[in-house]
Amino acid sequence: MATSPDSPASSPADSRLRERNRRRETPRKRLVADRAARWVVSAGGIGVIASILGILIFILAEVAPLLFSARVEAGRKVTLPEVGKIEAVLSDDYRTHVATLDEHGVVRVVRMRDGKVVYTSEAMAPTLLAATVPPQTHAFAASTSDGRVLLKSMGFGISFNGQERVVTPDETPPVFLDLDLQKRPLGAFAAQLDGDGNALAAAALADGRLAVARRSIEKNEMTGEATESLGRAELDAPGRITALVIDPAQKNLYAGTAAGDLLWWTLQDGQPGDLHSANAGAPITALTLLLGGRSLAVGQENGALSVWFPVNESGDTVRLARTHEFPRHPDAIRRITPSQRDRGFLAASGGRLGLYFSTADRTLWTGTVPVRDVAALFYTPKADGAYVAGGGEVAEIDIHNPHPEITARSLFGKIWYEGYAAPAWVWQSSGGSDDFEPKLSLTPLLVGTLKGTFYSLLLAIPLGVFGAMYISQFMHPAYKRYVKPMVEIMASLPSVVLGFLAGLWLAPRIERVVPALVLMAIGLPLCILLAGFLWSRLPRGFRGRFPAGTEALLFVFVLAAGAALCLRLSAGFERFAFAGDFKTWLFNATGLGFDQRNAVVVGLAMGFAVIPIIFSIAEDAFSNVPPNLVAGSLALGADRWQTVTRVVLPSASPGIFSAIMIGFGRAVGETMIVLMATGNTPIMDWNPFNGFRTLSANIAVEIPEAPHGGTLYRTLFLAGLLLFIMTFLVNTVAEIVRQRLRERYTQI
Amino acid sequence: MSLLPTPSRISTVDRVPGAVESGTAIRRKIRTTKFFGDYRKRSGAVGQALTWLCGGALALNLLLVILIMGLLAYNGLSYFWQKDLMELTLKDGRRILGELWSEEKSAAETGTRAAAAIDRIRLKIGNRDVGGLDFVWIDAKDIARRSRPADVVMLERLEWGNFYGTMAELRQGGQVLAAGPEAVWKAFGPLHERKLQDLHRIEKLEKGEIGDVNFQIERLRLAEKKLDIEKVSDAERARRKAALEREVAVAQGRYDRLAARLSQMRDRYQAETLVMKTVDGETKEMPVGTVVRAIRPNVMGSLAKLRLYGSRGVEFVAGDPRESNTEGGIFPAIFGTVLMVFLMSFAVAPMGVLAALYLREYAKQGPLVRMVRIAVNNLAGVPSIVFGMFGLAFFVYLVGGTIDRIFYPESLPAPTFGTGGILWAALTLALLTVPVVIVAAEEGLAAVPRIVREGSLALGATKFETIRRVVVPAAAPGILTGMILAMARAAGEVAPLMIVGMVKLAPTLPLDGRPPFLHLERKFMHLGFHIFDVGFQSPNVEATTPLVFATALLLILVVTLMNLVAIMLRNHLRRKYAGSAV
Repeated sequence: MATSPDSPASSPADSRLRERNRRRETPRKRLVADRAARWVVSAGGIGVIASILGILIFILAEVAPLLFSARVEAGRKVTLPEVGKIEAVLSDDYRTHVATLDEHGVVRVVRMRDGKVVYTSEAMAPTLLAATVPPQTHAFAASTSDGRVLLKSMGFGISFNGQERVVTPDETPPVFLDLDLQKRPLGAFAAQLDGDGNALAAAALADGRLAVARRSIEKNEMTGEATESLGRAELDAPGRITALVIDPAQKNLYAGTAAGDLLWWTLQDGQPGDLHSANAGAPITALTLLLGGRSLAVGQENGALSVWFPVNESGDTVRLARTHEFPRHPDAIRRITPSQRDRGFLAASGGRLGLYFSTADRTLWTGTVPVRDVAALFYTPKADGAYVAGGGEVAEIDIHNPHPEITARSLFGKIWYEGYAAPAWVWQSSGGSDDFEPKLSLTPLLVGTLKGTFYSLLLAIPLGVFGAMYISQFMHPAYKRYVKPMVEIMASLPSVVLGFLAGLWLAPRIERVVPALVLMAIGLPLCILLAGFLWSRLPRGFRGRFPAGTEALLFVFVLAAGAALCLRLSAGFERFAFAGDFKTWLFNATGLGFDQRNAVVVGLAMGFAVIPIIFSIAEDAFSNVPPNLVAGSLALGADRWQTVTRVVLPSASPGIFSAIMIGFGRAVGETMIVLMATGNTPIMDWNPFNGFRTLSANIAVEIPEAPHGGTLYRTLFLAGLLLFIMTFLVNTVAEIVRQRLRERYTQI
Repeated sequence: MSLLPTPSRISTVDRVPGAVESGTAIRRKIRTTKFFGDYRKRSGAVGQALTWLCGGALALNLLLVILIMGLLAYNGLSYFWQKDLMELTLKDGRRILGELWSEEKSAAETGTRAAAAIDRIRLKIGNRDVGGLDFVWIDAKDIARRSRPADVVMLERLEWGNFYGTMAELRQGGQVLAAGPEAVWKAFGPLHERKLQDLHRIEKLEKGEIGDVNFQIERLRLAEKKLDIEKVSDAERARRKAALEREVAVAQGRYDRLAARLSQMRDRYQAETLVMKTVDGETKEMPVGTVVRAIRPNVMGSLAKLRLYGSRGVEFVAGDPRESNTEGGIFPAIFGTVLMVFLMSFAVAPMGVLAALYLREYAKQGPLVRMVRIAVNNLAGVPSIVFGMFGLAFFVYLVGGTIDRIFYPESLPAPTFGTGGILWAALTLALLTVPVVIVAAEEGLAAVPRIVREGSLALGATKFETIRRVVVPAAAPGILTGMILAMARAAGEVAPLMIVGMVKLAPTLPLDGRPPFLHLERKFMHLGFHIFDVGFQSPNVEATTPLVFATALLLILVVTLMNLVAIMLRNHLRRKYAGSAV
């Protein structure tokens, strides 16, 4: 376009010419405005499009952290020179201080920031043979050379001095339990201590027998006086015991033997009761209990690492089952320590350290142990780090492991959860207690989604497609012009209204008239055929007065009457076909249950929501079949029905396919109807009389409760992403098919 | 009519009566004439039967539409209609008074044809504060006598639902003002009128002046907290703090005075009490002011009932909800829905139009733009709950959280924008509906003939001028239709809003007389969510179902009306521009 050169005038003629040109030119202001508008519209338009497409990217970003494995890095290292061999180590919640217990029974608290020892206790016992931190406790447990087990609770009091956090170790006296009355050195041992001071310990004695000792504290509610009582039991062990562990509730004692047997006693007031055993193969070298106290992590001489838990067999028998298996270490497992947050644990063999997650059979990280000769291992309370001690060194490990539960298998495959008889697909995101094992399988939700979609399409496809076929091929335009918008008005019904009708109006009524529904499925088509036949018997001259398609309008009344008749006959039919009561019959005949809010109700309601979509697009497809094709077919002598089925239907089939696809997309993502019309139980079956839970309803139910950034939150985003991708793909395929079809028609 | 996103889906709306006949329409007419001229040609018997079945499918569609609309209309509209009160005398001598709610036939039990008559009826007996239950089932065979006594009264109350019984006494303190059903009925009317005025005054005081003072105290409290985290010298802080405290003291003083006045008003409001007698002789005393409405349904004429119907309808639309949303009106929900939809349109209109203008007028047409177009179209088919999640993560947590940290650190950890609110809901729905607007606007732009553009350009207009003066006005019907369709969809959408901002009961409207007047961070009530909440999460589902029907009917009317307006507007404008622009 025009630009105005600003060169100085050279002659009067030039200047006149320029003057004239300038008048013809578009004024600069308008050009600037034009340029500016181009910029603004382009930037704005691209911005809008980018931001709506950015939704996908944002959701991906929310999901992405699930895919990352744990990040583990070596942290600070502290050397404590003039100390005996460190036997056990633990830290406070914030990882500012670490307490160590050395072989002389001296507790030292080290400030990790500068490696300074801020507290040193007096020696509690002559010599310690071994020490550990019992699972889910904040205490040291150690066995002494004189046949006792020592338990010392290590609390860290936190106070604030201005902004600075001051950590002071508490000063509770240790508890001693006499295991060997003959004061011989103890073998393998285990102990537990609870918040009230109740302590329980078990140890292998020098003569191969097993001793259990208990101290219980009875508090008098009135006076606050505490009375202590002691108990002790001794029994023969079936084999040489090499590892022991007691659950935090002090109700179960597990042991591993040199022969590779796992032994499990239930404890009643400290007295061993029933014994169960299972064989694990190689000698057992390390045992611990994961969070919840049910899963037993087992390390063996040959480096094998596995998780076991009690499984209810048929009947009342219980057995220990090897449920999770992890890659072997090159040499014997020496230490296993559980997380206090989840079902994860750390295991160390001679030179290797691994981070594992039980539920998902997941090896999150393996690496070398940062100290020589590992003697103590501790997983910090917030599961954000670990401490390894060996010799006189304490090394810190930083663990960043926000979503250990999620693997492709835990999302879609079968997982053997605690308390289950076999691996299963389960969605149960939260439970009553903190040590609940989250079960985040999307499979039941996917199945639920497909089930709801299936039953709704079962209704919507025939009604939508055949209705559209009739209206476009057999009905006079005079009718069509009113009938078509009437069906399409259904699309504007908010789904919350349909859901409400389905859940509160339809569901209780369906429950009573299932036999009538069965009857209708057979009876209504018969009614239609009968009515059609009667119509065709009417005199031709009479029928000819009405436009084509009048009979379909009559059918509305026929159907209404037929449906009413079916409802009326429902009870009789129920007696005749279902022995008087449908629900009992259903249960007896097929073993299926009956929920009031079930898939049939959803199918009806959601089908109703999908019909107008399928109808509308299919009608377009039928109507857009080039008329010369139809005319040609009729001219060649084909009758109406032949033309429709052999000419119109094949040419319109891509359009019908895309209609069904788009209907499918709508049904998959529908939220309110399924939320309101099913019980939202995440069960997996195809029984039409059961409820289910779909991906979308699951999001609606759970996301308000999911903590921002947590595993559940991200898993729900993954479910959302799945929905997004599913519907987007299906719609795109449908759209492309339709565009192709349109191009083809324009060529004809 | 349909809310579907893709171009041809929108274009299905085009073919409505009165549409201007384009070339294709005329072609279609020729075709259909030919086509149906041949219709009488007989098909084979099987073909004929299958044709009928197809017709049956269509008929079933129509029947379903009629059924659902009829069901909603019948149940929604009958909610306001006052039924007679029925007194049942049972064979064991018990007497029960209430509204006949439903009758149930269950032939299944006995199996004889005679038993198909009514054998159970359900009465709404109200009086929850006396008996605890709203409903009773009565076996028809236990009923000895049915009657409709003239002097029974139905009270709609602020609390505890309806009361059915006879009026016994009117008291003021210990003094009896009137006794006996007739005398009390006569005295009750004028007294009740006065008490309602008292109630109105109390509400005005509470919402008006006391609300203002509370608002002021809250602001001062936040200002004090803000002062604590601000970086100012200690002396300055002390000085400002003292000033704030003085202000708080003044406000508190005002509050105390208002509270005293309020309690005085309340005493007066509750001075007179009405003693009611239930049908089985128990008495219940209640302040006259807690009665919303007292009627004697059995002696009301049809006209009086119609008036009552109207007044209940008005109360429903314009009143506040009572008894955790199970009674009273739904005004806040209507208001919230409308406001949210308007906020959404402010966001969606420029977004949609800009994107459409860019795609159609400025972008270089090619495979990339075609792909983008398909992608945008298909976004409308992505489940709304996914948009809700996005809204939660992006608007609420990311944007809202950031705003809170920067602008409202004083009220943390209580979130201001970092929680669901009307603004986030509107923006989420704007994203959800923008594809609809883009598609419609693009279609409108594409329909403007090239001749018109070229004419404008030839006359010396720049491209932008052409677009602004010629193209956009010609495309306006398309854009407007898209907007209305978007608004209709937004009005009916619930799932994403459940996540980003709706609440069961919002104590305050998002728009009020206190600065900054429009409170974008507030939560709000929504018609659709109201249906879900009242229908599925209220403790007394049976009693509330009619109210939900009425709400659903209202929602459907609004949404359908918007859709119809969209269609009509489109046709109107199209005709107008068909004459002038082309």
